[in-house]
Amino acid sequence: MIAESLALGGRALTKWVRNPFAVVVTSIQALFWLALFGNSFNPANALASPSGSLGPLQQAFGGAPNYITFLTPGVIGLVALTGMSFMGVDLVFDRINGYLDILRAFPIPRTSIYFGGVIQNIAKGMVAAPITFALALVIPNGLRLGSGFGVLNLLGVFGIVALLTAVFATFFTGIAISVKSTDSFFAAINFLTFPFMFTSSAFFPLSFFPAWLKPVAQANPITLASDAMRLLILNSSLNASQVQALAGDVAGLAVIGAVFAALGITMAGNALKAR
Amino acid sequence: MIEVEGLTKTFSSSTKVVAGVSFSVNEGDIFSLLGPNGAGKTTTIRMLTTLVSITAGRALVGSYDVSKDPGSVRNLIGVVPQEVTLDNELKGMENLQLAAKLHHVPKAVADERARELLRLVDLSESMNNRASTYSGGMKRRLQLVTALIHEPRILFLDEPTVGLDIQTRTRIWDYIRQLNRERGLTIFMTTHYLEEADQLSDVVAIMDHGAIKVSGPPRELKDSLQGDVLTISVEDGGEDLAGFLRSIPNVSEVTRADHSYRLKLPRVESALPEIITEVALKGFRIAETSFSKPSLDQVFLEVTGRSMRDAEEGGGAHDGYASVHARETR
Repeated sequence: MIAESLALGGRALTKWVRNPFAVVVTSIQALFWLALFGNSFNPANALASPSGSLGPLQQAFGGAPNYITFLTPGVIGLVALTGMSFMGVDLVFDRINGYLDILRAFPIPRTSIYFGGVIQNIAKGMVAAPITFALALVIPNGLRLGSGFGVLNLLGVFGIVALLTAVFATFFTGIAISVKSTDSFFAAINFLTFPFMFTSSAFFPLSFFPAWLKPVAQANPITLASDAMRLLILNSSLNASQVQALAGDVAGLAVIGAVFAALGITMAGNALKAR
Repeated sequence: MIEVEGLTKTFSSSTKVVAGVSFSVNEGDIFSLLGPNGAGKTTTIRMLTTLVSITAGRALVGSYDVSKDPGSVRNLIGVVPQEVTLDNELKGMENLQLAAKLHHVPKAVADERARELLRLVDLSESMNNRASTYSGGMKRRLQLVTALIHEPRILFLDEPTVGLDIQTRTRIWDYIRQLNRERGLTIFMTTHYLEEADQLSDVVAIMDHGAIKVSGPPRELKDSLQGDVLTISVEDGGEDLAGFLRSIPNVSEVTRADHSYRLKLPRVESALPEIITEVALKGFRIAETSFSKPSLDQVFLEVTGRSMRDAEEGGGAHDGYASVHARETR
């Protein structure tokens, strides 16, 4: 199972390395979110604060000194979402040109076709996060790390990115393997990405949300991941309640990932069945 | 090697695409399923290769039941689909290596086999080029050997030369023959090219409307029509030879056009010397003789009541035609 998944995932990665266009586009997308959205929607603008500081709002924004510091984990989450949603298109093309069909005549478990897709998507997705992080650090009024931010914090941030990327990879690979055409694929991902995006704390803290939306937003994987990353970015050492919050976020992501994977395996099994 | 009994496939539309076919393929044979597009050939090959479920009946491939033990069947077979399904962004060699990995062939063994197979189909020089740079014929050849990297015992070919030019087609035929002779590979193929079935197969089964109408070695099928045609032209023959020719044993029909006589008889090779001698003994000088044996098309006509060409143009525009057409215009 693992060997076949790696073989199939490796195939896609070989092609991707030869055509790095997607990496470039993903990075530009991250820059747009940070530099354009981060400045035009910056709440500090309304406060007319000269230094770009969030002033009285800092508390609400989890203690972030400026908006882009708050926004960066959100953007990392959004890039994981959009990246994972589109990258499954490889599988759609594999279906259209008959490759997926003929793979079924190979003596390999069906789930390896699904996990091959998941693995390659995670690998591709993991490239975007460090780029986003680095861009956020270099742009003016950008990401300001908490004092004492160290290697462990950084590893923690990327661990959470990996988990979130896996959550979306398992979800969208299941969709990619199930749809029959590019049309339905793009319709499906367009339909699905926006709710994830706008019910999350990627842009604004949950305290800004109306009560009816809060429970949904709280369970959104982007919320869980961004909040967890924020804890690690803004604090050098976590107090007991912060540790608890972080553990809760990570556990939430793991549970959602497991549910999505189970769903994806079922969808893939169904889509690849001999009829 | 393959035993099929009452094999039936019904899709949701409830029409039987394959309606209870039975046949068997001996080890080491080349077996062709010949028929117009839409006859049910592709569905049959897809059932045998575990890609489509079997509605009713039974199929054993290498003694494994296709429905009950598809995994064992997959280990035993190589499949070359109608559409080229290579990865265009990977190099020729990499396509083979990927197939090897998916068949659990150890890398060292796989690399050696891959080189040998690429040499066999004359692709050694382009093995490090991406498949996207290959011509249609090269892709077909690469696809063929990709299905052989794990040394299957049975090779399934779905329309192996569809859409190829004549030279490329004959070349592919040579490779298929070579694989069959030198490696003892059992080959099951579908085709709607009469010549392809005729030239390559040990056994041909003619399929139409989901049923096998007749099967046997191409030679036997053609001979069974007893329809060889011999044409004899004589020099300035005043006398009508028709009556005399008709009296020769086994000649079933004689028609005359001037000095030319057209005879129908079962096996022209065995009767020819006698006929020529008789005509010469009668004092006629023979100006010209020619003969033709029935083609598989005539066999098809005999068993289905229409020619392959009519079948293709008429009710045959099902999935097969659509996919071929789509590929050619892509």
